This record gives sequence, structure tokens and C-alpha cells, in this order.
Amino acid sequence: MTPGPLSYFLIAAFGLGAVVAGWLVFRTDSMLRAAYWLMVSFVGVGAMLIVLDAQFLGLILILMMSGEMTIMAIFMIMFMMNPAGLNPMTMVHQHRTSILAGVGSFLVLAWVGVVAEFPNRPAPVEDPTVALGEELLGRSMLIFESAGVALLAVMIGAIALAAKQGRFGDAFAGSVEPELDVEVGDRT
Amino acid sequence: MTSLGILLQVAVSLVAGAYLFVVADRLMGGSTQGVRSALVYPVKRLSFLMVQPVTTTERPDFEAWILAPSLLLGLAAVGAVPIPVGGPSAGGDIPAGLVLFGAAMLIVLVAVFIFGWAPNSVFPMIGGYRSAAMVLSVGIPFSLVVLTTAIPAESLSVGVIVEAQSSLWYVLEQPLGLPIYLITAAAIAFWGPFDLPEGADIVGGVAAEASGPRLAMWRFGRAALLVTMSLMGQAVFLGGYLGPVLPGWLWTLVKTVILLILLALTGRTVARMRVQRFVWFGWVVLLPLALVDVFLSGWIAL
Amino acid sequence: MIDLLLVIAAAIFGIGVYGALSQQSFVMIMMGLELMLNSAVLVTVVFWWGTTGGNPSGQLLVIVILAVMAIEAAIGFALVTAVYRSRKADIAEKLKKLRN
Repeated sequence: MTPGPLSYFLIAAFGLGAVVAGWLVFRTDSMLRAAYWLMVSFVGVGAMLIVLDAQFLGLILILMMSGEMTIMAIFMIMFMMNPAGLNPMTMVHQHRTSILAGVGSFLVLAWVGVVAEFPNRPAPVEDPTVALGEELLGRSMLIFESAGVALLAVMIGAIALAAKQGRFGDAFAGSVEPELDVEVGDRT
Repeated sequence: MTSLGILLQVAVSLVAGAYLFVVADRLMGGSTQGVRSALVYPVKRLSFLMVQPVTTTERPDFEAWILAPSLLLGLAAVGAVPIPVGGPSAGGDIPAGLVLFGAAMLIVLVAVFIFGWAPNSVFPMIGGYRSAAMVLSVGIPFSLVVLTTAIPAESLSVGVIVEAQSSLWYVLEQPLGLPIYLITAAAIAFWGPFDLPEGADIVGGVAAEASGPRLAMWRFGRAALLVTMSLMGQAVFLGGYLGPVLPGWLWTLVKTVILLILLALTGRTVARMRVQRFVWFGWVVLLPLALVDVFLSGWIAL
Repeated sequence: MIDLLLVIAAAIFGIGVYGALSQQSFVMIMMGLELMLNSAVLVTVVFWWGTTGGNPSGQLLVIVILAVMAIEAAIGFALVTAVYRSRKADIAEKLKKLRN
């Protein structure tokens, strides 16, 4: 399908939203806001997928991420010392390197995207969900099933890792909090 | 149907449905003041809440607190978009409408969690955690029973699913579907015996600190959510607008009101379930039953 | 159109790289990883839509990436929990020495 001006506008709007929301994830002190800005970024990408005729995939992405981001928010509230960000603090390291790496990877990838010539073979207009279903349960069933088995293995592994009562007794036994070498070094 | 028409249809069905639901709930709730009092009750309650002063807490997440009720209402509206109300062409003709509905309903968890987090207060936060535990336990059975209706119809479009029920409603063809759907829908909409996120045992839970227009919006959002759940339930299990003699929209209305009354009745008569038991119930009972539902309907469809 | 989409995906990926490298908290690092996978989903769909003539394998790849995202989240959270149990560690600095 050749894109009309409306799809250009929608792509640009959703894309801008996804990028800005992704940026805000690391600019907020509140963990809940960070998690849900990430969700907004995913919803933006999901909306872009819908504009690109991949309705099912876009909606599945949004459906998955809503649950996952809530779990993420709960984990952040559990583990972080200051989840609400009521006392502003920065928790970053190697900041300059990271900015360089981020900007560098953006520039390289964007350069590849703009300069490289891609074949122009647009997807047909007919319902891609049907094609996906045929593919999942036809030619590529093995891949699909492997993903399912991998998820099952991960479930078992995650439970084994996170269980409080491990093979070697209580997981808290002998738990020692290491000192922070960095801050000590900085102070002296 | 134009976008404006769909918007109007969703707005009218949600407002009218929410009104009917509050009246039904008032009558089920043992109001002794008669039907006429119940009919004006929603208006009275709304105007009372609109003039109530808004209280606040210490250092709340202000934007999130304002956002959450609107998000709840918006999600109810988004979920109602793909549902045909009056006839074959009434409703957004969305090829993957069922998935849109599922996605919108699972994001309700986000609205509830934000509403519990925002006031920076203990009981709302406990309500938010409860909501997360409950919805993550029943989210999979909910999605499974809704998506199972797409198997015999061979389409994810709600309109096609309704049309496919012209010979037999899915409530009979998939007998496990509707009960599981209603249980999980009530849990996602934190209603009925599963109103744990707003339970009286934690002094009102997520809504404990809310007041004034904010609370009015929240209550309206939840009523609208139950209306959306009932609309989808009647569309995919009770044959939607299909029925003899009467026009399509009237059948939709009748079936939706039946489901709403059922929800109000169970909400008022069945005792509240503890959250631990409910999580157990979701994973150990509802999930296998939903899988059985999938296998059975796949078997029948083949 | 493809250029614009790829630039957007590159921007999301760049932010993800920045987040994964700069954040101290484990969960925030995972958010950076998720953003990178987000951009991968977008790029895959863009190429499926624009250059493959609607080959369904492209959509299949997206499903696989979604599974990878779920796996990453599950294993990540399990590791965070395990590390917290054994070290009381919630930020990467506390794991400088993984041995006793």
C-alpha cells in the first residue's frame, strides 16, 4: 500500500511520541512514571505498527507491555531506595560515555537508514493477520513451538532462580551487603 | 459508519449504560426507598460529588492522580469501539477488534495501579498491589475465553463473530465461556465479589483518598467499564443484535441490561473473596478451565 | 517513508543504549534493554511492510522478538531477585566483585 499524507502524519506523530516518551523514562525520578513512560513508548510503537497494516502485532505489543510495565513498576518500588523520587537524586554512572554511545549509535543507524537503498516491495493490502496465522501454524510451526518451549523453560528457570527456598537452603542465608568501592574511592 | 458516528454511539451507550447500571445497583443494594428514588439516585449522587470539595494528601503525584480516572473512562470507550450495537454495520469495522478490546481491558490495570499510587497514601497503594495481583492472575483466562469466540467464526472482527452466531449462540456452543468471562470481567473491573482493590477491608482502597469530581469520574469510569464488558459479553456470547421481531439495537439493549443486572446482583449478594484465595482460584481453576474451553471449541470447529 | 521510520527506530535504539549504559539500578538497565528491543520490533515490521512484499516470515520474526522480550523480562527479574537475596544489591556498583 502506498502511504498517503495521513499515514505520514500519523507515523511522524506516533514516532515523535514514542521517542519523547522513551527519553522521559530516564529523565524522571519517579519509578512509576519511568515504567509508564516506557509503556507510552511501546504504545506509540504499537500505534505505528497499526498504521503500517500490522494491526495484530501492534495490538499484541500493547497488550503484552501493559502487564509487563506494571510488573516492572512493582519491582522498582520493591527494590529501589527512593521509588517515588520525592528526594531527587541521580543514579547514573559513566554518564558521558553513555551519552556518546547513545548519540553515536543513533547517528550510525540513522545514517544507514537514510543512505542505504532498500528494495521497494510493499506488502499487499489483504489482511496480514490471516497470513501470519497460516505461517505460525503451517510452515513455521516448529519456530513457534520452540518459542513456546523456550518460554516454558524460562518460567521454570525464573522460579528456580527467584525461589526463596533454594536447593542449598534459605536464599537469605549468608547474605552480605558489599560495600560500595566507588564512593569510598571518590571520597578519599 | 463514520468516525463521528462511532464516537457518538460509544458515548451514548456508555452514558446510558452507566446510568442503568447505577440504578440497577441501587435497587439490588437493598434500597428501601422505591424505584423512583433509585431512578434519580445517579443524578443526585453525581451532583453531590461535583460540588464536593477536593481533598488532597501530602505530596501526591498530582498529574497521575488526574490522569487515572480519565484513563479508565477512555479505556472503556476504546474497548466499546469495535462492538456492533444496532446491526451489521453499526460499530467500528476493525479486523482485529477483539484484540483491541483485550488490550484496552488489560491496560485498565495500569489506570487502577496509577490511581492507587498517586495519592502517596497507604491504603490506596495496597489497593493498587491487589489489583495487580488479581488482574495478572485472571488476565490470561480472560483473553483466552474472549479469543476463543474467534475460533468458530474464523475472524477477530466482532461483527463477523456476531454474524456467525445466527444458528447457535456461543453461550450454548461454548458453555464455559460466559461464566469465566463474567468472573474475570468483574475482577478486571474491580467489581462484585472481587472489589478487593476498593474493598471495605482497606477503607476504600484505591479510592480512599479521592473525593469530589475526581471520585465522580472514577465511579463513572468503572460503571462505563462494566458496560463495555457487558456489551462485549452480549456480542460474543449472546448473539449481539441477533433476535426475532425486535430491531437490533433493542436486542443489544436487552441483553446488555441482563448482563448488567447479573453483575449488579452478584456484586451485591456474593461475599467478597480474599485476595490470596482469588489468585489461587485464577491460576488453578480459571486458567485450566479456559484452556479446556479453547480445546473444546477448537474440536467442535474442526 | 522508510527513511523516516528507520530514523525514529534509530532514535529509540540510541535512547535505549544510553539508558542501559548509564543507569545504576538493575530495573532501569532493563528498561534500556526493553527500549532497544522496542526499536527492533519497529524495524522488523518496517522492513516487512516496505521491502518484502508481505512475506509472513517478517511477522513471525516479530512474534519471536516478543517472546525474547518476555524471556528477557522474566530472567532479568529472577536474577534481580536472586542477587538481592544473596547480596542485598539493587544497583550495579554493588556487584563489582561477583566472587566473595
